[in-house]
Amino acid sequence: MTRRLEAASGASVGAPERRFESIPAAARLAAVLIAAAILMSFARGPIAVGQTTLNGLVSAGYLALGAVGLTLVFGTLRIINFAHGDLLTLGAYLTFGISALGLPFWPAAAVAVALTAVIAYALDFIIWEPMRRARTSTLQLFLVAIGLAIVIRYTIQFFAGSQVRGVGQDVLTSVNLGPFHLGALQALVLVVGVVAIAAVGLALAFTRLGKQIRALSDNMALAEVCGIDTRRAVRLIWLIAGGLAALAGVLYAAAVGSVNPNFGFFILLGLFTAAVLGGIGSAYGALAGGIVIGLAQEWSTLFFNTRWKPVVGFAILIVMLLVMPRGIFGGGRARS
Amino acid sequence: MSFFDLDFWVGVGVVAGIYGIFTLGLQLNVGFTGLINLGQAGFMCVGAYAMGMLVVDAGWPLGLAFPAAIVIAVAAGALVGLASLRLRADYFGIVTIAFSEIVRYVFQNAAFAGGNQGIIGYDAEWRAFQSWASERLAAIGLGEAAEVPLLVAVWATLLLCLAALRALQLSPWGRVLKAIREDEDAAAALGKNVFAFKLQSLGIAAALATIAGFFLAMNVTYLYPSEFDPSFTFFGYAVLILGGFASYGGVVVGAVLLCALTEGLRFLDLPLSAGQAGSLRFIIVGLILICLSMFRPQGLLGSKAEMQLRA
Amino acid sequence: MIGRRSLLTAMMAAATAAALLGGLSSARATDQVSLTIGKLLELTGPLSETGPSQDKAVSIAIDYANQSAAAAGVPLKITAVSADAQGDPQAALSAARALVAKGASAIVGPSITPESIAVANGLTIQKKVTLWPTGTAMRLRTIKDEGTIFRTVPPDSLQAYALAAALTDKMGDPKDKLLSIAYRNEPYGEGLAKGLVAAWTAKGGKVQGPVVFDPGQATFDSEAQQVVDNNPDAYVVIDYPDTFAKFGASLVRTGKYDASKLVVPDALAFSTVPSNIPPQALEGARGTRGGSDMSTEAYKLFDQLWTKAGGVEHFALDANSFDSTTLVVLAAAAAHSADAGAIAAKIHDVTRSGAPKFGPTTLGEALKAAWSGEPIDYVGVAGAFEFAANGDPTISRFDIYEYKGGKLDVIKQIDASK
Repeated sequence: MTRRLEAASGASVGAPERRFESIPAAARLAAVLIAAAILMSFARGPIAVGQTTLNGLVSAGYLALGAVGLTLVFGTLRIINFAHGDLLTLGAYLTFGISALGLPFWPAAAVAVALTAVIAYALDFIIWEPMRRARTSTLQLFLVAIGLAIVIRYTIQFFAGSQVRGVGQDVLTSVNLGPFHLGALQALVLVVGVVAIAAVGLALAFTRLGKQIRALSDNMALAEVCGIDTRRAVRLIWLIAGGLAALAGVLYAAAVGSVNPNFGFFILLGLFTAAVLGGIGSAYGALAGGIVIGLAQEWSTLFFNTRWKPVVGFAILIVMLLVMPRGIFGGGRARS
Repeated sequence: MSFFDLDFWVGVGVVAGIYGIFTLGLQLNVGFTGLINLGQAGFMCVGAYAMGMLVVDAGWPLGLAFPAAIVIAVAAGALVGLASLRLRADYFGIVTIAFSEIVRYVFQNAAFAGGNQGIIGYDAEWRAFQSWASERLAAIGLGEAAEVPLLVAVWATLLLCLAALRALQLSPWGRVLKAIREDEDAAAALGKNVFAFKLQSLGIAAALATIAGFFLAMNVTYLYPSEFDPSFTFFGYAVLILGGFASYGGVVVGAVLLCALTEGLRFLDLPLSAGQAGSLRFIIVGLILICLSMFRPQGLLGSKAEMQLRA
Repeated sequence: MIGRRSLLTAMMAAATAAALLGGLSSARATDQVSLTIGKLLELTGPLSETGPSQDKAVSIAIDYANQSAAAAGVPLKITAVSADAQGDPQAALSAARALVAKGASAIVGPSITPESIAVANGLTIQKKVTLWPTGTAMRLRTIKDEGTIFRTVPPDSLQAYALAAALTDKMGDPKDKLLSIAYRNEPYGEGLAKGLVAAWTAKGGKVQGPVVFDPGQATFDSEAQQVVDNNPDAYVVIDYPDTFAKFGASLVRTGKYDASKLVVPDALAFSTVPSNIPPQALEGARGTRGGSDMSTEAYKLFDQLWTKAGGVEHFALDANSFDSTTLVVLAAAAAHSADAGAIAAKIHDVTRSGAPKFGPTTLGEALKAAWSGEPIDYVGVAGAFEFAANGDPTISRFDIYEYKGGKLDVIKQIDASK
């Protein structure tokens, strides 16, 4: 109970300030990253650093897209949505299913994104909202998320089988930028990812609904008192989260070239890391977090054996939570 | 034959006992201290591997390696706690799960821990004990299934831990813990070192995880990182919620029921392909988890009143 | 007074009874053997990609054996039960117990060595149930399995030599030649890579890497870059098809990759390259797999059966599971029984070195010969087994193949023990 009161009294209309706070934070982050790249070039040569940077930015694409939905839901509804990764998988597999009915890949993907958004909303309607009304504990929400993750993943596997599925897109064409190369599809993923993040971020900053959502993530009760239609905002959050997750899943599948039903869950912790790193609740933060994690993982291969790549993300997460728990863009309180 | 095969159910009993001990630690954290410990499998990994490495690499006898492993796991728990207990509850959960995954990856990749080849051969003394015990049991007519000595050992330990935890809960220490769970700030205001209590709770959970890990290692005779997946922890939480929030007895009931259910489902013969049958088992477990959390979060033996964990 | 009618009825009754009894005893004389084979599959978990194809491999082996037995007049009927090992030794043990409870006399699978050891130590050794894992680790040999574990996959030590031989065949003397190695981070990859590094450096070659990649990763661009850096003379990638679909694509995208420099082991051997692996990643690449002098017809038949059954595509080591199943069936025929221990005792009799040779194309005759008690030497799709005492195949013959136009073409056979 005490924590609620603290939150209510501490809540201000802090939303507008954050938009401007984020610029120096972004600049600082960019400066740190560029400095790191320059330093590493002395050790490993600019070409190696440049190539791994490009590779890292590609990973940042799917990490960031996946993380945005996660951070919005976590930030506003305080749900650690362990099922989020499986929404990515759902998006990818729905695309396969729909394209098997005759639609070409990208239109099928668009339909799948819309469908997943609707499913995410339906899940909120059936499961999350009743629990919110009953004011259930974090533990219960967490367990429901786990259960949901299991159900979604294994239902996909039930219908689609566990074997790896090729995506049927051209994964081999490379785009050459001087001494560097990038897969054409991967470049597409990167571009779409950045555009999507920018779009979401701008919408949050400048539309009325966006401002309402930000007010919600500060304090749900206060927002209701202020007359904000929280139910509508929540519905929209789920639609956005579900849609973006599906988009991330489709792009991941397209860029990697093949998927299996476990892939969403495998990258889930990476998504959490990106979200926490960037600051819970901040869409820009998700992008920043995705970039940092993506770059860090690829840069680590310059100095450490590639087998340690997965650990890099977790290690950064722990260090972040100990040292700078509010994240780069400083959303929300992390200490109790 | 088939469904009522003795060997099979003795095996299930062993697994249920292991999960029981594991989840007793979770219950202490979640039900009685208010900590969402998602890294219990990581503590189990540290403890089991420590024991395995001490026996195989350093040549220690099992009887010494096991207590030493508990100490090491508790130290790991203390480390994690010191670093992250000041974070808010859900962030703490994420840190513990990241810790658990790091541990698993390290053991999978580091040469000192056997890497992908895992560790084997640490159970010679246990096997000797087991065959001696089997002979004794055969003499009194209980020698049917090979795993009976292990079953007895696991369950004896489980019930001992249960009794110990119950006693602990009734002690002054336990009462402070409950106060912390219900209102941290009030407890702190009364002069209790909340942080220290939480740390102790985490340490005890790590010890219990190690004990569970010991039996797991003996059951499987091979230490391999995939045994210490986060899904082990998630399953433990399923046991916890089924058995009942803040009920140690419930943990035992929950473990038996859930293990019996998930393993028993192996015998369900539906006109499905093998792959689909495999997926279906998991879908059923997931649905149970969702329904329980939504409709009967206090589980079988817990009480709703105890569930006002956090608003 | 016994009327004629009642006498007639009595005689008919007696005749019927006699016929029935005679029928029964003749049924006993032909003693139909009902064998149940357990499939311990990875259906969920990290290796779940292998599950469906292993399932199919065992199923088609069973169907084919049933047909062959019926055609040859051998009274053997085989059925299958399956269980999910979930990629976890604890679950694998439980699954194995379920299989035995459901009546399995032999277990085909599991796919990874830690699971195999858990199952062996916990169950199969004690119950004398033969276990046929597809793990290749050397670890499995250190277990005192009392003759219950058999493998139809060549152990890492031999395959490492075969890979070295295939490389030498391609580029001549290994001395000072740079070999770039990459492997998938799990027991199969690690074991084989270690053996290869040792074999190659012993011949004076140089090694770059090994680059270790985690199968769960999304992209492998940085890892692929490390493989093709410094323009090595050859690469060896030890991987399963699902990850190779991604890794291969990354290799091609580096722009510096030459598929003809690649050599792969048996896990990447398929008669036709699966659709999700980019053809450019394997075109012109070479590889090794267990072989026999009957390899070509055997693989043709296996391929036919596989395609006719529809369903999933080829995957790693599916031929080996097909062979394991067939060997169990043959041993049951030789033992006239579905008892696990009896089958275990007969495995060596159906793979006796020097005995008349049979292959998948002559399975009917093989069954007949085994049933009549003669020792035979069954040469499977993946090679001749002739098990050593510890259940490892003494298979030393390896096929060296090349991928031409997406299809596997055997170009040579070598004896890895030389």
